[in-house]
Amino acid sequence: MSAAALDEIVSELGGADRQERIELLIDFARNLPPLPAKLDHMKDAAHRVEECQSPVYLFVELHGDRIEFHADAPIEAPTVRGFVAILVEGLKEATIEDVLSIPNDLIERIGLPEILGMLRVRGLHGVLGRLKAEVTRAAIGRASEPSA
Amino acid sequence: MAAAYVHPEVLVSADWVEQHRNDPKVRIVESDEDILLYEMGHIPGAVKVDWQGDLQHQILRDYIDAAKFAEICERSGISNDTTVVFYGDKSNWWACYAFWAFKLFGHKDCRIMNGGRKLWTDQKRELTVEVPSYPKVTYTVDPAAAAEASIRCFRDDVLAHQKAGLPLIDVRSTKEFTGERTHMENYPEEGALRGGHIPGAKSVPWSLAVNEDGTFKTADELKVIFESEAGLKPTDNVVAYCRIGERSSLTWFVLTYLLGYPTVRNYDGSWTEWGNLVRVPIVKGA
Repeated sequence: MSAAALDEIVSELGGADRQERIELLIDFARNLPPLPAKLDHMKDAAHRVEECQSPVYLFVELHGDRIEFHADAPIEAPTVRGFVAILVEGLKEATIEDVLSIPNDLIERIGLPEILGMLRVRGLHGVLGRLKAEVTRAAIGRASEPSA
Repeated sequence: MAAAYVHPEVLVSADWVEQHRNDPKVRIVESDEDILLYEMGHIPGAVKVDWQGDLQHQILRDYIDAAKFAEICERSGISNDTTVVFYGDKSNWWACYAFWAFKLFGHKDCRIMNGGRKLWTDQKRELTVEVPSYPKVTYTVDPAAAAEASIRCFRDDVLAHQKAGLPLIDVRSTKEFTGERTHMENYPEEGALRGGHIPGAKSVPWSLAVNEDGTFKTADELKVIFESEAGLKPTDNVVAYCRIGERSSLTWFVLTYLLGYPTVRNYDGSWTEWGNLVRVPIVKGA
């Protein structure tokens, strides 16, 4: 995995004990930056992650080979909000390749099944899958644009 | 005149909880789907019991045993005669599940805080991150008091119940009932190989029993839903099921305590068992 910031978060969470991990996840949940005003009114079905019971929205834009990633999830669902915040923080300035090379067992690597239980991590896999799909779509969209 | 709940004493208000949170005879228990919510802030004095990490066996598909249950009570300062008040997220869905599990082990005085976590926070009542600690107590599970046989049923019981034409209530979403989906909406991979419902089951999605603010509907409204519309009679012997027995614990609570049905059992194997069993009868469609 090559997004250095995400790598750092993974090793911090992976090395923490259960209680520290819970507290770190809560910190992330509390500190998820609000959506930029231009995106706030775009919280619609097209941007919602279907697999999550709570309303979770992802927005991906490309600037050159860097992604700009914003997300929103309710504070009443701190688990998924915390996970989304990890991705937002960990993928600042990330490239398309960084996102697509995030290992699919990221959730296991940060030790979430251990604190959340297997049944509860399903929605998180949905978030990661959706993020990769959005980045792929944005990349394909750009590739098919006529060059200026 | 409006009908009353048959056992109104099992439901307490947020005000009652405020007044009793320092009462040594009362223990407030938070039980949520989202395991981080308690750590984010809870009712002062409340302890956490996790439906998955605490109440379920970690290897078998079953509940913990009596010794483990006694341990959870002892660490939480719950004695055999403590009044335990459950509350939680998602309209008390998980609180009802924990309530039901406490009844499996015969805990006598269990209650639900009407409105759950949502109403408490909506009313801007106090929350704390401070985890209380209570002097350790002794808890003894009395096998004679354990209610498993009267509130829980297994697949052979359900097959016999279904063959006898007795009422079944399916509390899943309409799409799960008709078989259009084999899993709960937004919960993929927790499904079954076959979709549909148990023959004879009536569809009453669990959320019909609660209001937007998380409180339970009135007895009159519940009677319309379960009796006028789903055709139950107050003397019926009922089995409720969903996908893994969690949503149906709320329906079990409503039928047993709010409407006072004498025999209501929760089929915790539910659709993830039935929809995977070989040669059991299934109906697809409405």
